[in-house]
Amino acid sequence: MHNNIFWIIIRRMRTPLLVIIVTFSITILGLVLIPGVDSNGQPYHMSFLDAVYFVSFMASTIGFGEVPYEFTYAQRLWVLFSIYISVIGWFYAIGALVTLIQDKNLILELNVAKFNKKIKNLKEHFVIILGYNHSTRELIKQLTVDGKRVVVLDKSQEKIDELELEHFVPEVYALKANVESPDILRLAGIKKRNCKAVVSLFDNDFKNTKIALLAKLINNKINIIVKSSTTEQTQHLKNLGIKNIVDPFNLIANRFYLAISAPHLWILEQMLFGHDLYIHDNEQLPKGKYIICGYGRMGKALRNSLQKAHTDCSFIDLKSAKHKAEKKSAIFGDAQDYQALLEAGIENAVAIIAATKDDLINLTILLTARKINPDIYTIARENTLDDVTIFQAAKIDRVYILEKIVSEYVHRVISQPMAHQFLQIIHQHTDEWGEEVVEELKRKTCYHPEIFEVRIVKSEAYALTNYLKDGNRIRLGQIARDLSNREKRAKIHFLMVKNRKEEVTLLPDDNYEVKVSDRFLIAASPEAREDFELLINNVNEFEYIITGHELKFGILKNIFKDEEEI
Amino acid sequence: MNTQKVISGFFIILAMTLNFGFFYGDIDTFTHHSPYELFFAIVVNLIATILKLGDKTQVGSVLLATSLVADLQLLAAAIVWGVSIYVFHGDVKNYAQLVVSLSGGALMANIVSVIIFMGDTLKSKR
Repeated sequence: MHNNIFWIIIRRMRTPLLVIIVTFSITILGLVLIPGVDSNGQPYHMSFLDAVYFVSFMASTIGFGEVPYEFTYAQRLWVLFSIYISVIGWFYAIGALVTLIQDKNLILELNVAKFNKKIKNLKEHFVIILGYNHSTRELIKQLTVDGKRVVVLDKSQEKIDELELEHFVPEVYALKANVESPDILRLAGIKKRNCKAVVSLFDNDFKNTKIALLAKLINNKINIIVKSSTTEQTQHLKNLGIKNIVDPFNLIANRFYLAISAPHLWILEQMLFGHDLYIHDNEQLPKGKYIICGYGRMGKALRNSLQKAHTDCSFIDLKSAKHKAEKKSAIFGDAQDYQALLEAGIENAVAIIAATKDDLINLTILLTARKINPDIYTIARENTLDDVTIFQAAKIDRVYILEKIVSEYVHRVISQPMAHQFLQIIHQHTDEWGEEVVEELKRKTCYHPEIFEVRIVKSEAYALTNYLKDGNRIRLGQIARDLSNREKRAKIHFLMVKNRKEEVTLLPDDNYEVKVSDRFLIAASPEAREDFELLINNVNEFEYIITGHELKFGILKNIFKDEEEI
Repeated sequence: MNTQKVISGFFIILAMTLNFGFFYGDIDTFTHHSPYELFFAIVVNLIATILKLGDKTQVGSVLLATSLVADLQLLAAAIVWGVSIYVFHGDVKNYAQLVVSLSGGALMANIVSVIIFMGDTLKSKR
């Protein structure tokens, strides 16, 4: 890549350099050949050194005057001619150099070289994100908060500039490049061992598939996370062997199904995103008849989940593009639309879902529905993160923001693999089971527990790992203790554990024996989380929890020991 | 006929011949060596160097390298000459030897350059 920069400069500077050499040599030669007169009136010839000296300051317009002696008229005529050709040559060369610095290709190559160097020096785990849009921006925000390193490629320079203005910490490396090129993917470090995932969340399914395929071919081991919005595409991707496929409509449908038929499982799922352990009044989905407006990909997915939940529903087939073309406005709510709502049975429906591709139409559908039936529960699909505030202001009961759902899902896959697995497991359980877990969580932790992952290795649990490596055995109940009083249990609950052999134990009890390199998914109150992280790392705190005594060390150890024995 | 080849061939060979012209003569006598010839040798060598720039091939790179060597040696010769006259004012004989032998080195580089240039031309089927 450095080579390219060199060749661009060389190619551009060839003619200017030739011009300079030719003009300088002509003027120098002329000065040497033309006879002059020295201070004593004797004829003399300028030496080459004098000539080079004179021409150098003449061409660069510095102009020290006539040296070494005053010129004769013959010399002055020649200098007059020289000034014009050499100054023009000199300015031409400088002009060429200045244009070269501003040259787009050169700047691009320089950026590539810089980017390449940064990637080479990147030692931590990182994620490659292709395309910078609302979803990936949210994702990058969340990942950088976790301290994860991110590399972004986008084909538009504007997007890259936008990203750089965000000033993410740690720095996000970004490059304007064609994301569908294998060379660029390699440049972004896809083959590096510390590259953990490639994320492609474009709206265009074909683009996503192409990137997934390329990434898979270049690096078979890498974790590919790709968005797909149709079932055919999902199937196609599955056939390629891609495990992490994000289908936003499917995700929403699943959540919707959970919210209606298994509210406790829904709470558990929401808890992972920081939701409280109880359902707020306005979150309770009513039971009864639903109306779905818009029968596209989302409408179909929702119908499936409503049917699965044995809920009655009716449709208004509404295509945003067609609606806009026919009515010449992006507003829903004329007499015909009223009629459509009435026919769909809005008067005795309990909830209405606006699921078209157009945010404004969705909003006006719900506002119109509310006019007819003020008590109706309103659910909106919001397509972009642009106008969150409008939906908030309209007091829509529940808003599904596609881009946010996608970014949260991908963030979980990358940053909290345990939580991701936990979710997949709980989906196989019944709501009664979910209720028990929620109740237990409420009892043992608090109403808004924090969810975190801990791995029993030296870097994450120093004291505990050392203790286990010394051959000691420990049960989970022993470390779930309050730091101020070890008789009391800490407000902590273990959701899942995965051992070295990837075997998963759901909700391990207090008798579970802790082993080195176990991974725990833990729910705890914020204080309990802080305490727990301290106790598994700090030798003194750990000693107290295990033995009930403070650890003594240093020269005072013996003195205090005696005291205790007395 | 390839015009570009004619031009670059002209300058490459002229660089060598001028170089030889300057080099030829008694090694420790300045009067045997014309400063004008050295001047032209330098100018033509520089032009030849620039004509060789931008050729990304293996042969092109070696040609460029030989030219850079010749430039360096000839410029060094000119500088030594200038310094000997204007700074040290004396012991012209020793400096004459140095100047001429430096140009001899440049001549070697130029000969190599011409050989590679001819070889490349003969190899070409166009």
